[in-house]
Formats: sequence, structure tokens, C-alpha cells
Amino acid sequence: MRRTRSSERSSTVALSCFALAWAMATVAVAEEPGKWLERMNQALTTRNYDGTFSHWQGGKVEMLRIIHRVQDGAVSERLVSLDGSGREFIRTGSDLACYLPDKRIVLVERRPPEESLFGGIPAINDQTAKFYDIKEVARTRLNRRDTHVITVSPKDEFRYGYRLWIDETTAMPLKTQLCNAHGKVIEQIVFASLTLSSRIPDSAFKPEVSTEGFQWLRNEAAPPKDPAAAASLVWDALKLPPGFKMAARKAQTMPGSTDPVDHLVFTDGLASVSVFVEAHSQSNASSEDPPLDESARVGSSSAFSTVIDGHKVTAVGEVPPATVRFIANSVKAGPGPRQ
Amino acid sequence: MNEELDSQLSAMFDDELPSAECELLARRLSRDELLKARWGRYAVMGAAIRAEGGVRLNTGLPGRVSTAISAEPVLAAEPAPQRRERWGNRWWQPVAGAAVAAGVAAVSILWMRSQAVPDAPNLAQAAAPMTTSVVSGNASPASTAEPDSYVVPKTPGRRLVVPSTELANYVVAHSEFSSPVGRRNLLSAFMATETGTAGTSAGSEEPTEDVQDDAKNPQ
Repeated sequence: MRRTRSSERSSTVALSCFALAWAMATVAVAEEPGKWLERMNQALTTRNYDGTFSHWQGGKVEMLRIIHRVQDGAVSERLVSLDGSGREFIRTGSDLACYLPDKRIVLVERRPPEESLFGGIPAINDQTAKFYDIKEVARTRLNRRDTHVITVSPKDEFRYGYRLWIDETTAMPLKTQLCNAHGKVIEQIVFASLTLSSRIPDSAFKPEVSTEGFQWLRNEAAPPKDPAAAASLVWDALKLPPGFKMAARKAQTMPGSTDPVDHLVFTDGLASVSVFVEAHSQSNASSEDPPLDESARVGSSSAFSTVIDGHKVTAVGEVPPATVRFIANSVKAGPGPRQ
Repeated sequence: MNEELDSQLSAMFDDELPSAECELLARRLSRDELLKARWGRYAVMGAAIRAEGGVRLNTGLPGRVSTAISAEPVLAAEPAPQRRERWGNRWWQPVAGAAVAAGVAAVSILWMRSQAVPDAPNLAQAAAPMTTSVVSGNASPASTAEPDSYVVPKTPGRRLVVPSTELANYVVAHSEFSSPVGRRNLLSAFMATETGTAGTSAGSEEPTEDVQDDAKNPQ
């Protein structure tokens, strides 16, 4: 009898262990797609690479080249349009420069040294799973590389989804599709070539476009903010789409301007929306400005601008138009903290 | 370009080059901009050939491909001498984990064929926008100095809003807070000619094949 009880206890323990192991394995499997996203983000931000890719959006395709390097803790990046506008975006450390040959303008933004690129990147967390289904739907070969196909499907229409072909060895996304809430592909990036190098020379981050005769617009050092004014108004969104939370708030100046702009960032862990608030003055408006209370598109990303309480409020984000409109219209000024 | 190299390139694109030679050529490709441009042309031609083999493509592709090939941009081997603003300080700031990850990154080279057959329509679309391309005569000094370097596609019939400097500022500022993939999408779109397109992104040529492929994606 005693032996029987002992045997039953052993069986129970074994079953428990098995159940625990199975549960852990299940959790591990369930976590795997999210882990792939994390690995992909890490690869995109920390690896050195030089690639050429096609960018499809709205029936139009352009070839672009991206060069990315992390050296001695500093990020350098160059993105250049190969067959279109000839625009280039170059980051070297804290300096961002945007070369716009079509407008004969160079925008230069120098960011404070304490601000790192990675500080503002949305982080996938437990909340993210409430608003997206993240699954691995296939393991397939793409251009002779083994890839994991991960889908990130939004559960509502406030955000976009992704379909990602992530290289098994390097975790680089070899192909990316941006999809709307119905799964329709609205933007696609496919690498034609990709080189991972241990070293990329500084010369790779020099612009190809000649800037002779270009207008250079820089962000000047922000004037000391009037403490009384700073304390008087604090901008926030009274209502946000489900899952979005404020991730950052800062005052910054834009290239070509000395007026400070309040920059608020909202994210759901994957998508993010920036809201820029600045004093609205008709005299500042030029024919180049987008019309107020009107939407604009940057690829599949959206922008919406309106005027609230004498301030121009512009929301920009890689989300559907309705989301930037929703957020911009819900921004209000409240009293600041008492000094 | 000598015939042997040309032949190797062709064999590599057709997946008929031995892997050892393939790697050597890939290394050379990563250094040689002219060779890269030639590779790009093979990609376009490959799409056209595959199209003739029955892959569903957009109508009128062959004619457009020939236009695209003739307009294929060539990257200069060395950047042209430029007058650039000198950036004084570089803010070399520590980024957790970044240096370590970059340091251990193996010297690995991927050289992927531009598009496998299921993706051929996308490559075809890559050729398509060049159909209406014209060499810009007044776009930039670079265009004047290197007329073969840049083409400015024109797509009549779409209402365009040239992005304002202000919007450009916002896009760049926002990109610092985007996810890595979202950031790349946003900046890529911004680099494209028609950024700021107003209204809906009404494109008729969508990679629907991908959606269909995905629906029946093999496990």
C-alpha cells in the first residue's frame, strides 16, 4: 500500500513536471513571435549594414539605399533615394541633416547630446498584445535566405499592421509589408541587396548631392523659456485611441526657426504619433505651409494640422489618418504645475 | 566590364554560380558601384524575362522596362567633390548594447537576388514608375553636373502637395520616436518624390500577389 502511494506520488510529480514543462514550452512558443520582433529591432538599430531596397507605396516604387553603422556608441545612418528626388537623410551622432535637392534646402537639426536615438523607440510590452495579434505564420525562403514570417495584426482601425520576413541568421527584416486593419498591403519594402559589415568608412556617410546654392536651415539654440509662460500651459491629449499613452514630452526648436515647439509623443508600443504645438501666427504662415485643418500623407504615414486655442497643433505618425486627426483634435492646454 | 565578369554576374543572377565564386563576386559587388548598377539592370531584365514566362505583371510592362533600363541611375563610384558644411562636434554618445552588438557582428555578406518569382510583380512595379521619368534639367546642381545620376518621375493626374519645410521638420523629428521599422518606412516615403501626396493614397498597382501568396503561405 505504501509502495502504491509512493508510486502514485511519483506519477503525480512526473505529471506535474510534464505539465509544467509543457506549459513553459507553450509560453516559450507563444513568446517567440514577439521575441523575433525584439531581435529585429535590435538588429536594425545595432548592426552595421549597407543595403539597397525597393519601397512600394500607392502604386509607385523607388529604390533607396540605407547605410547604418554603430561605432563607439554613436549611430551613423544614411538613407538616399536612388532614382527619384535624390533626397538624402544623414545622421552622424546627434546631427541630423536632410538634403532636399528638389527644394534646394538642407535641414540640419542638432540634438542635445544627452538624447540618444534609442531612448525614444517604442517598446513592445504586455499591453501591446491587447491591440495586436502577433503570430509566426510561416518559415519560408526568401532570396535564398531562411526567414520567419511574422504578422502583426491590429485589432482595431486606429493602427496599421505589419507582415515581416525576418532573416533567421541576422534577424534583419528582408521584406516588410505595412497593412491596414483589413490586411490589405499599403506599403512594402524589399531588400535587393544587403551587406553586413564589421566596418563602414566615414566616407559612406557623406552626401552625394552637391549643396552649392542650397539654403541651410538649422535649429538654433532654444531661447530660455519664460518660466511664467512655461508654467502657464501644459499641453496634453484629453482622449487617446485605446492603448496609446504619452511616451515623451519635450520642447525643441525646428530648423529655420527660433520659436520653441512643444513635442508630445504617444505610442501603443508599436505605432507612435508625435504632436507638435506651436504658437499660431498668421504672419508666420507662408504659401508653402500646408492648409490648416487639412490632412497630408507621407507615404502611408499621416499628418493632420489644426488650430486649437490660438496654437497650431500638428499630429504626425505611422498610423491611419483617423488616428492623427483623433489625437490632434483631443489636444488641449491645461494649467502647468505650480512653481 | 569584361565579358568574364559579365558572365559571372549573369550566372550569379541565374543561381548558377558556384557558391565560392558567388561569395567572391558578392564582395566585389559590395565595393564596385558600377557593378552594382549592372546588377540592378539584371534585376529589371530578370523581371521582364519572368514576366514573359507567365508571371502576372502590369500591362504595358515591356515597353516601360526598356525605358527603365535606359534611365537606370548610376551611382558615382566616388562622391563628387562638394562644398559641405563642416559639422564641428560629433556627439559620440554611449548607447547601451549597441557597440557590443556591432562589434561582434560577423563579416557576413548577403547578396540576394533582387526578387524571387513570387515577388517579380513588385520588381515590375519598381520598373513601372520610371516609365514617365524624364531627366530633370533643373532639379539640382548635382543633376547638372551628373545628368545621369538623377531622374525625377512625373505621374500626371494625381493631386500633389509639395511637402513644406515645416512638415519635413515634423517628419524628421517624429522619426526619432518611431519603431525601427516604422521609422524606416516613414523616412523612405519621405525620400520618395511624391511625399506629401494629398488625400488618399490611391494606388491602383498594389502587390496583391503578396497578399494572395501569404494567404496560401506554406508552413
